[in-house]
Amino acid sequence: MAAHGTAERQGMTNSMLGFILFLASEVMFFGGLFAAYFIARADAPAWPPPLTPEQIAEGVHLELEVLLPAISTGILVLSSITMQYAVWQIQKGNQGGMLWGLFISLALGIVFLAAQLYDYTQLHFRADDTIYGTTFYTLTGFHGAHVAGGALFIAVVTVRALGGQFTAENHEAVEASSMYWHFVDVVWIALFTVLYIIK
Amino acid sequence: MLGMPLSRRLRLISATVAAALLALMATATASAIQPGGITDEARKMNDLFWIVTIAGLVVFVLVGAALVYAMIRYRRQGDELPPQFHGGGKIEVAMVGVPVLIVIALFTISMITLVDIDDPAEEDALTVEITGFQFSWQFSYSMADLGTNTDPNADPEDRINIIGTLQPIDTPDDEIRPVLYLPVDEEVEFILISNDVIHSFYVKDFLYKLDLIPGRVNSFAVTPRVTGDYSAQCAELCGTNHALMRFIVRVVERDEFDAWVAAEAARQLGDDALVSSPGTQGD
Amino acid sequence: MATVAVPQLSGYHRPAVLDWIMTVDHKRLGILYLYFTLFFFAVGGILALLVRTQLAVADNSFVGNDAYNQIFTMHASAMLFLFIIPVWAGFGNYLVPLQIGAADMAFPRINALSFWMLPPAGILMFAGFIVDGGAADGGWTAYSPLAQQTGVGMDMWIIAVIVLGMSSTIGAANFLVTMFRMRAPGMTMFRMPIFCWTMLVTALLQLLATPVLAAALVMLFIDRNYGGQFFDPNGGGNVVLWQNVFWFYSHPAVYIMILPGMGIISEILPVFSRKPLFGYKAFVFATIGIGGLGFSVWAHHMFTTGSVLLPFFGFMTFMIGVPTGVKIFNWLGTLWGGSISFPTPMLFAIGFVSMFLIGGINGTYSAAVPVDFALHDTYFVVAHIHYVLFGGSVFAVFGGLYYWFPKIWGRQLNERLGKLHFALMFVGFNVAFFPMHMLGLDGMPRRIAVYADSAGWEALNMLSTGGAFLIAVSMIPFLIAVVMAFMRPKDQPDDPWEANTLEWATTSPPPDYNFDSLPPVRSERPLFDARHGDEEQGH
Ligand code: HEA
Ligand code: HEA
Ligand code: CUA
Ligand SMILES: [Cu+2]
Repeated sequence: MAAHGTAERQGMTNSMLGFILFLASEVMFFGGLFAAYFIARADAPAWPPPLTPEQIAEGVHLELEVLLPAISTGILVLSSITMQYAVWQIQKGNQGGMLWGLFISLALGIVFLAAQLYDYTQLHFRADDTIYGTTFYTLTGFHGAHVAGGALFIAVVTVRALGGQFTAENHEAVEASSMYWHFVDVVWIALFTVLYIIK
Repeated sequence: MLGMPLSRRLRLISATVAAALLALMATATASAIQPGGITDEARKMNDLFWIVTIAGLVVFVLVGAALVYAMIRYRRQGDELPPQFHGGGKIEVAMVGVPVLIVIALFTISMITLVDIDDPAEEDALTVEITGFQFSWQFSYSMADLGTNTDPNADPEDRINIIGTLQPIDTPDDEIRPVLYLPVDEEVEFILISNDVIHSFYVKDFLYKLDLIPGRVNSFAVTPRVTGDYSAQCAELCGTNHALMRFIVRVVERDEFDAWVAAEAARQLGDDALVSSPGTQGD
Repeated sequence: MATVAVPQLSGYHRPAVLDWIMTVDHKRLGILYLYFTLFFFAVGGILALLVRTQLAVADNSFVGNDAYNQIFTMHASAMLFLFIIPVWAGFGNYLVPLQIGAADMAFPRINALSFWMLPPAGILMFAGFIVDGGAADGGWTAYSPLAQQTGVGMDMWIIAVIVLGMSSTIGAANFLVTMFRMRAPGMTMFRMPIFCWTMLVTALLQLLATPVLAAALVMLFIDRNYGGQFFDPNGGGNVVLWQNVFWFYSHPAVYIMILPGMGIISEILPVFSRKPLFGYKAFVFATIGIGGLGFSVWAHHMFTTGSVLLPFFGFMTFMIGVPTGVKIFNWLGTLWGGSISFPTPMLFAIGFVSMFLIGGINGTYSAAVPVDFALHDTYFVVAHIHYVLFGGSVFAVFGGLYYWFPKIWGRQLNERLGKLHFALMFVGFNVAFFPMHMLGLDGMPRRIAVYADSAGWEALNMLSTGGAFLIAVSMIPFLIAVVMAFMRPKDQPDDPWEANTLEWATTSPPPDYNFDSLPPVRSERPLFDARHGDEEQGH
């Protein structure tokens, strides 16, 4: 074998480290969006900002129902737990347990997305209705896209899991997808708190 | 130095000469580029500019001289390897310490200047509302404000406005630029507004600029001390004809200013009472 | 090294071009990066010559006001996003694995992906010139709301910059993993070559700052195309928000543009002084310090917006001179007591030290807030930009090219032509950009297509234009030297300069797998140790 450094060092693998760095950049991306939201909100004379008479005539109003998103939040948190369950199972070498975990997480993720889309149809404002609408749709939209990406990731992992590709020693993709899923979950909790709770 | 061989002495001398030349060049440039300024505030900023320049020159000359000296003094002479030192404690502390001291000094002085020039305008200062638009300026004086000095009977609701127009590119444009009249030796406050894009109100001889930002109102105050015409222009890229957003600041004596106000008021408000009011003469 | 068995299809040879397109080898990708970025240096330079021609005389109508705004915007966009930022990825790709004694980058295929994102982005950005409304024309800073007003060229610019940003983000992750995990035995972090350290800090900045730019650009895109109100005060948005988010990226980005250049000259200076870098650890910590401080000074670009915490940002901006000063003293200390020779790479390195010194000091003027009130958005700042980016980064690029040319292409660039190149470029550079200090102090704003005759700026502008063309002329000896070199056989030894770092321990150019064997690594100068034995280490 070569005398030099192609051999990987102990600890996590290169791909895992690379993946974590990628997540760090994702955190900064959402950080940028959140920062924009906070600056805009802190600077606005009123929140939600006042509407023009035309907007009011069109029936725009800037309000958010909390109930459905609260349920969605519960769903997403639950899916994070089931995802972690999948990781723990495969760490013990239990492929069946992992599969259950993956299936349920994937299903919950899809339910979350569907709920969010439904929620969009219930709103009385659009992205071009003041900074309130813009930030709301941008933040939740990019989060939704990440949920969709995460669900796709889990789906791929699930297919590979069905093919029996993971073992107690070798299940990096499962861990990576679960990390991604937790990340998406944490972002949502932050979003939910900021957009729906802090009035 | 006397004990060393001739060639080395020559080198030291040439290094010293090079350093001296460097210093000379730097000072010459620095004095050629002094910014000047016609307001109280500008003079303070000019002083600060000089302090920074001197500090910068000292750093530049010392580092530059050391660089030139090292290049000459330590030219490769043969194959013998020079001593291999990697650096050491004390020098490294100095490397950090000295710049920290310079930096703290410069920072302190600039903050003193900042506080000095940033104090809010007096209540009764003349106020001019400056609106930037693509691609010219509007200078708006309220009669309430002017009235206290010009005509106590003026209607406080009235304003006189100087509105510039876009000038064709190829004209000698000095005459067509909008003119901002200011009385000398009096404090004036500018209120800066924009409704389209960002512009920047930049008068070179104030050594100052401040942006006009949609959705914000900025303001600053100065006291001009020297009469004359000063050309000025927009300093923030604002579109195709950004380069043509020029204007003139005309600082005049008080009675000339009053005369201008009276004439403008008569022209814009159709109120010729002002023209004949005491202390003013139409020109 | 065990040779990897490559399946050979008998009788079939992939055409060479395809080899290059399909390559995942870090050296080839590095070379592709260099070709690509140097091409855009030429493009950006030609745009700069148009700018200078327009400004040579007062009231000029060589290019119209509209075209002018597109030209300088694309000049800066090409120079920054398509030249200087990716050129470091080029050097880094070629050198980092060699310098740490690895066979390749950690993720070769992702590496290829990072490169191949560049050409489409470059084409997209420049295709703006042929669409309705022209290329982006809001300056490279794309301040809103002005950036809302222009044509689709702006959308193309936004998308291109997002793609370029993604390329540099994943590239950064690749460099980090490579340096954290692929170092040869004995190569501890504090024995890594300085160039690697500067790439490491640069990669961290890219990883953390570039996504914020992406967020900003996404917001701008939404405002432009979907009625978003982020930057529209009429809908409760905030104009200055754009500037905050943009500079939060773009100030760290200026260090992304200079740190690897500092790394390059920190490789060159010790070799031609025949001494170790003075204060290696201090240099590393200063680099990290610049990276850290770099995140806390962004609002110094916004002092005249009236919505900035002036004392804080003024102070932090001053402070950034301290770690940078440490580096200047590192370089001086390296020369001091050395045995200095002046081949072309060394000339560029010394050019860097002296010119960057000027650029740093004139940047410090703007840290003094009231002084910046006068200087902001004048040609004084344009002088600063070019003293750091040209006098700094570009000099380092050429220094690096002359220095590593024998390693990368196995041939030496002609010394005389090199020296001529340096002399012309050094003089041209100063003639072009020094007068801009005076113009700025005399009140000439930047980004203006025309100035009045009565302003009195013509003489200095003419001088500056002359300097710019001299820079262009200086490229002729360089190009001749390159052509001449390629006409000769590859005759370079492993280590033509008596250098210190591992890339010189293999053939020139290195084989596919980089090393047959590695010397032991017991300090940051393994080759020096091999030449002189450990006893001369003299700690
Ligand atoms: C490679 C790129 C690069 C680098 C390295 C720097 C380095 C620095 N820059 Fe610069 N800067 C730009 C690229 C860069 N800049 C660009 C592109 C713009 C314009 C953007 C635009 O608007 O388009 C800009 C604009 C810019 C501004 C805004 C100006 C304005 O628009 O009004 C300011 C303000 O503070 C600034 C400051 C600094 C400072 C303090 C440093 C410091 O890092 C410099 C530190 C170095 C030294 C100080 C010299 C060495 C030190 C010593 C020898 C020690 C002793 C010295 C002292 C004690 C002072 N820069
Ligand atoms: C790395 C960055 C970089 C570099 C290298 C340069 C290089 C040059 N720049 Fe630029 N410049 C910027 C970054 C850079 N600039 C930025 C960020 C701005 C601000 C933009 C804004 O306001 O938005 C700016 C703005 C700017 C302006 C101000 C415009 C304005 O405000 O209106 C001017 C004016 O003179 C100018 C001039 C030049 C000139 C003459 C060069 C010359 O040095 C160019 C010399 C190069 C050549 C002449 C190329 C020659 C090469 C060939 C012909 C082929 C060779 C081939 C190979 C090497 C393969 N630049
Ligand atoms: Cu208004 Cu530039
Ligand atoms: Cu900056």
